[in-house]
Amino acid sequence: MRRLLFLLLLAGCSKGPEADLQYIGQARSAAAEWALVNEQAADDKLTGIYVDAMRKSLRQQIETAKAALTVPDSAYAHEMATLVATPDNAPPQELRHHAEQLKQIEDSLESA
Amino acid sequence: MNPLELTLGIMTAVGGFVDISELVFAAKAGSKFGYALIWVFAIATVGIMVFGEMSGRVAAVAKQPVFNLMRHRLGLKLGMLTLLASLIANLITCAAEVGGVAMILNYLTGAPFRLMAIAGALVLMASMWVLPFKWIERTYGLLGLFMIVFAVALVAIHPPWDQIAGGFVPQIPKGLSTKELLIFAYFAVAIVSAVMFPYEAYFYSSGGIEEEWGPKDLPMNKITCTVGFGLGSLLSIAILASSAQLFTPANVDPQLLGSSALEVAIPLGTTGLVIALLGMLFAISGAAVETCMANAYSISQFFGWEWGRHRKPREAPRFTVAWVTFFALALLIILTGIDPMQLVEYAVLFSILVLPLTYLPLLLLAGDKSYMGEYANGPVGKTLGWLYFALISLAAIGALPLYFLTSGGQG
Repeated sequence: MRRLLFLLLLAGCSKGPEADLQYIGQARSAAAEWALVNEQAADDKLTGIYVDAMRKSLRQQIETAKAALTVPDSAYAHEMATLVATPDNAPPQELRHHAEQLKQIEDSLESA
Repeated sequence: MNPLELTLGIMTAVGGFVDISELVFAAKAGSKFGYALIWVFAIATVGIMVFGEMSGRVAAVAKQPVFNLMRHRLGLKLGMLTLLASLIANLITCAAEVGGVAMILNYLTGAPFRLMAIAGALVLMASMWVLPFKWIERTYGLLGLFMIVFAVALVAIHPPWDQIAGGFVPQIPKGLSTKELLIFAYFAVAIVSAVMFPYEAYFYSSGGIEEEWGPKDLPMNKITCTVGFGLGSLLSIAILASSAQLFTPANVDPQLLGSSALEVAIPLGTTGLVIALLGMLFAISGAAVETCMANAYSISQFFGWEWGRHRKPREAPRFTVAWVTFFALALLIILTGIDPMQLVEYAVLFSILVLPLTYLPLLLLAGDKSYMGEYANGPVGKTLGWLYFALISLAAIGALPLYFLTSGGQG
């Protein structure tokens, strides 16, 4: 029971790259989904209204994840800042590249 | 048994089975753990079949709705506590559903989210005011059948059927770290909660009384619960499987309601996307109406007020004020700007805490021969009932620690 309480406390108070992992994951996923949306939009498989709404929400997710970081001056924070500045209709490859960069950081932090 | 009534009942149960929490958690579960959580959906579906059938049977034989029983079986204090907790759980769920309706209307029309929340809520309230119970249930349930497009989309992407079938076997994926194991456990608990939401039993049993079920309706009750809920659950599993197939390789952990519709658009294009969004709209709208009415039923039954949609609104004034108030409160919660996806997490969490208290009185009454006579639970019903009661009690104990340890499944 004590161990559980300790873990709960730890989960609520942690800082640093470890604590940022979930936000890195959120931004990576949003960037990857944004790439998927743009790819399908280019193939004319989505409606314009849906595409606009999804892009807006995904960008918002990246902004929220970036704002929640405990280490704002880090490689992943810069990657997120680049994503936020990326135009809505960016090529899927470009968005995927950012998602992969974030995935690499995520994996290295997880294995550390 | 009228075959048309039976078919309509089954179709209504299928179309009305999926709600916002199942949409969200099925897509997330598939992208995170592939097909490994399908068995949890299957087990939870048997659970809702067991308790759904029991609540329908009690309504038909003892003519007792769930909250009436609760006050008698749990006593006033514990009954009141259960009432309060379930009102909160249902209100949060209803707010999440109203938010979901607004999000889908936003995907369909591009109009602002808040405006769509108000417009959507007004249309739903008008439908509740105008339509009799049977048609409220049927309209949303049958229109929710558009959700079948998710099963069509799954077939269209040619998934590995052997691996999907393997997902029905209880398993924990090998090689998971402690953190990943905790997230897996959190998802398992969340899926049990999402499939066995307490409002489903309140709504279903109250509906049985509204429609004046008697013992002659018991075969239909059994078939509707098993076939209807079973087929409905397959839609959730289709969402999970498509997510595993399309999102996992793309590194996407879907966080938006719109992500589920993308699963359909990839194989079926714009037409598929629009049908998926319409199916989601009607399924979530139905759930919003059900959660709101479940609250009005609960409070009216607990305090012995006149209740039911078979009466005109003015003939059951406190019941009418209750559902209008709960819907308005749900809308207000959404208008504060809270993220509906966050509300889904809270709804699932709060509901699992209420589940054991909801199902215990039902289980006791369904097994009580003095109330149920020859229709009391038999050995199979008793065993399954108590097994599921133990399962949901365990899930309720684990829910809060798992939520905090995994940051709501984020890791």
